[in-house]
Order: sequence, then structure tokens, then C-alpha cells
Amino acid sequence: MTNLLIALAPEAFLVITALVVLGIGVSAPKARGAITAATLLGGLVAAAALLLHPVDGNFLHGMVVLNPLARLFKLVLLGLGLVSVVFAAESFPKLHFAEALALLLFSMVGMMLLAGTEDLLMIFLALELTSLPLYILAAFAKESRASAEAGLKYFLIGSVAAAFLLYGLSLIYGVAGSTNLRVIAKLSGDPDPLLIAGIALTLLGFAFKIAVVPFQLWAPDVYEGAPTAAAALIASGSKVAGVFILTKILTLGLGHWTGTAGWGQFAPGWAPVLALMAAASVVLGNVAALVQSNVKRLLAYSAIAHGGYLLIGLCAADAPSLTAVLFYVIIYALTTAGAFGVVVIVEKQRGGSHLEDFEGLGKSSPVLALCLLVFLISLAGIPPLAGFFGKFYLFTSALANGRHLWLVILAVAMNAVSLYYYLIVLKHALVLPAPKETVPTAAPASKFLVVLLALAVLALGLAPNALIGPLSNGQTVKNIIINTLQK
Amino acid sequence: MPTLAHYLYVSGALFSIGLLGVLLRRNILIIFMGLELMLNAANLSLVAFSRFHPGLDGLPGYNAQVLVFFIITVAAAEVAVGLAIIVALFRAKQTVHVEDLDTLKF
Repeated sequence: MTNLLIALAPEAFLVITALVVLGIGVSAPKARGAITAATLLGGLVAAAALLLHPVDGNFLHGMVVLNPLARLFKLVLLGLGLVSVVFAAESFPKLHFAEALALLLFSMVGMMLLAGTEDLLMIFLALELTSLPLYILAAFAKESRASAEAGLKYFLIGSVAAAFLLYGLSLIYGVAGSTNLRVIAKLSGDPDPLLIAGIALTLLGFAFKIAVVPFQLWAPDVYEGAPTAAAALIASGSKVAGVFILTKILTLGLGHWTGTAGWGQFAPGWAPVLALMAAASVVLGNVAALVQSNVKRLLAYSAIAHGGYLLIGLCAADAPSLTAVLFYVIIYALTTAGAFGVVVIVEKQRGGSHLEDFEGLGKSSPVLALCLLVFLISLAGIPPLAGFFGKFYLFTSALANGRHLWLVILAVAMNAVSLYYYLIVLKHALVLPAPKETVPTAAPASKFLVVLLALAVLALGLAPNALIGPLSNGQTVKNIIINTLQK
Repeated sequence: MPTLAHYLYVSGALFSIGLLGVLLRRNILIIFMGLELMLNAANLSLVAFSRFHPGLDGLPGYNAQVLVFFIITVAAAEVAVGLAIIVALFRAKQTVHVEDLDTLKF
């Protein structure tokens, strides 16, 4: 019992912080600095609890499962959430600021619970706890039509996806007779038709969470219309949590029905479905991004494409490629959060996030422009940045068993296309002169954070083993995800 | 005597009706009702599975029944959030029809 309390201490601290923040919001709604500081302090306490009192174990029959890998992801999610908290000070409306930060904290609690569970019931609850605050946050800028519309679209598509997921989970439960992933993994033999339907519906539901075809339509609208800090969390934290739990469900619970998606070696399972989703997302994301004039929208299409790359790694479904997927999603989230940080600051200076608003950035704030360069080049996958190693590991591990050549060729070709639109943004930021003189607005905290994220992307590019190590070393991934698969 | 299959047919029908409502209707409030129907289809199938697949001790699978209670609660929370967003949208645009959602476009 006490162990369970210690295991859930980080989440508990975040909930308490959210309540305190709401309290400050009621008594001193204008003290935005104090509200942000309280939120960050609570987040740091939660991080300290996570780092200083590591508990491993399985609590409440798999509802809460902690191991080094889950704790690493909890830490990453916490960090991404706090990054959004700092950006929120620049991009959320002044009214009801405390409520916005409390919602951010609740969403972070959902993500962290999601990273530490192996039970369908808890997965559904944590997913909803992640999504519901994000729906509200997307619609938070009430005076803006775009924000209300983004919130509604996010909510409608998200709820339909949640219903798909829930129906799929109910069918999986029906076949397995348990909501625990490890019990579900004991099923074997030919899959029941109900189970096939269940797996298909579950995959569709998760397509929303990680923004891939066929549930990708919301991404561009929400990224554009939502307050940018909310979009940053949706693009980074929510995606990391979704990919992590999808990996867990597929390999831990449904490992028997992997199948193969190789050219001419087709075997039924979830891998071929993922392969189709991956191929469609990579093509659609990269091609549609070419014609975008709003940087947030462009980042959304690039997010769809990156979701496709991640699914390629999941298709391969062996130890190295799963490690590569987890590595890549963390790198991607850090990079995207940083890029959104630059957008937050530019938006504050120029009042928009169109390509023209980035013109002259290299002159007016060279540091920011340099950071943007690092992020976009990393997203495009150019060495020596972290994004290159992420893609390199992902593609080589998918190729290692020689089956996914067609997918990798498609992805590499489309990646070349992506270079064009990233360079267009950089051309506007670095080459073109500013149309009018603008006074740089001071946003020291956000700027500091953006520089920090850029340095992290650079450092992980120079020393990727710092992250690959904890992801693949020792007992972590091998025991927890892969062993079940190999049995 | 209805069997598990009967319950699953009904639940599948409910899910399809809900999905069709979401896809075909243009009024956001009606779309909302379709969504609720989809969630309740999942509830029905969960309860049916728990009733017809007793555990080793002969008792129904209570996990699924507990999940159903959670789903009902989550659905209520979802409705609260959804209606709040619809009100915000109505204040900004004076409409509850999906074809008027045209501020954000490709």
C-alpha cells in the first residue's frame, strides 16, 4: 500500500499542484507570474519524486506497473508538459490563466498514468484524462473563432476515435476474458473474428492519438487554431504517450498476431495494417505540407508524416526497431516542442504564424533563428542532429530483417520531399529581409527554454547513446516488451 | 433464450447507427447523440461478455462491469466538455452546424 502511494506520488503531486493553482487563480487571478511559478514548482517536486524514490513493481493487478522504462517515459512526459507550461505564459489569453495551467497539469497526469499501466481499463481512463483537458485547452482562446472551431473539431474526432478504441477494447476483452495485457497475451492459435475486429478498431482509435491516416484530419486545424502552447503539448506529449502505450498494447498484449508486412511475404496480423497506415501517412503528410503557408499547419502535416515513420518501426516489431521507435518519438517530441516554442515567440512579436511573419528573424533575433534552424534540420533528418540518428536507427532496424524494404524506400524518398518545405521556412526566417521594422518582445523564459531544447537536440545528435542506452540496455526494453513477443 | 451472439448483434447495430449518425448528420448536437450511442454499444458488449464468460470461480467477470461504470462516468464528463465547447463555438459563430465550421481550411 505504501509502495503504491510512493509509486503514484508524482501524479499525486501534480494533482495537488493543479488544485493549488486553481486556488491561486480564484484569489489572485492577475498574479500570472505566481501561477506559472507554482505550476513549475509542483512539476519539479513531481520530477524529484520520480527520480529520488524509484519504485518498481506491479500494483493492483497490473493497473499501475512501474519499471525503468515507464519511469523514463513519465519523466519525458513531465518535462514536455512543463515546457508547455512555460510557453503558455506567452500564448494563452490572460483571462482564466490559472484554469488553463490546471488543465495542462491534469492532462500531464493522464499521460503519466498512461505510461505506467498494463490494463485496458486504466488505459482507457488515462487516455480520456489526457484528452478531455486538451479538448478544452484547444478551445481556450474564447474570443478567437479559430480556437473554438479547433476545439470542436478536436473534440468530435477525438470522441469518435475514443468510441472506436473502446469498442475494440471491449471485443478484445470479450475474447480474452480479461482486461490485463499479460493475460491477453496468453491467447494463441488462430485469431477469433471478434479479435480481428477488436484489433482493427483499436488501431483506428490510436490513429487519432498519434495523428496518422485515417484519423489525421484534425491535426492541421487543431495545430493552427489552438493556442500555440496547447498545440505544443498535443504535438509532443500526447503523441509520446500514444506511441508508448500503442507499442505496449501491440507487443505485450497482441504479440501473437503481429504478421508481416514484407513485400511478397504478407502474413495476416496488425503489422500489415500499420504498414498501410504508415505508407499513407508518410505520403499524405509530406505532400500536403509542401503547399502550406502557415508554419503551425506545416508542422501538423510534418507531424502526420513523422507518425508514419514511427509506424514503420512498429511494423518491424523486433527489439532493435522498438527501441528505435521509442528513441525516435522522444527526439521528435523534443524537436517539435522547440519548434513550437519558436512559433510562440514569433507569434507574440508579429501577431501571426504565417511564413511572412518569420521574415527577418535572422536579423532581429539571430539566436532564435539559429534554434529554428536546428529544429527544422533535425526534423528533416540531417546529420549531426538527433533527428538524423532517430531516422537512421528506425530505418536500418526496419531493414535489418530484410522485409520492409518497400516501406523504407518510400519513407526515404518522401523524406527528401520534406527537406523542401523545411528549407522554405528557413528561407523566410534566414534569407528574406523583414518587411517592416519590428521590436523584439522580451520573452526570456520561453527563449531560454527554446535554446535549451536546441542544445538537447544537438547533444542527443552528438551522443545518441545517452538516450539509446537507457532505452535498450540491461533488462528494460528486452524484458518488458520483447520477451513476451519472442515466447 | 438470448445468447451472447444476440447481444453482440444489437451492440454492433447500435455502434453502426451511432457511427452513421456521426457521419451523416449536420447538426452538432445530433452528432453528439450518435457519439453517446457508440459508447453505449461498447457498454452493452462489455456487460454481455462479462455475463456469458464467467471466470474460473463461476462469477461473472467483474472487471468489465466496473469498466462500464467508468465509461458511463467518462461519457458524462465528455458531454460536459463537449457542450461547453459547443456553447463557446455558438458564441463565436452563432451556429451549431458542421458545414459552417469553415474558418480553418486546407
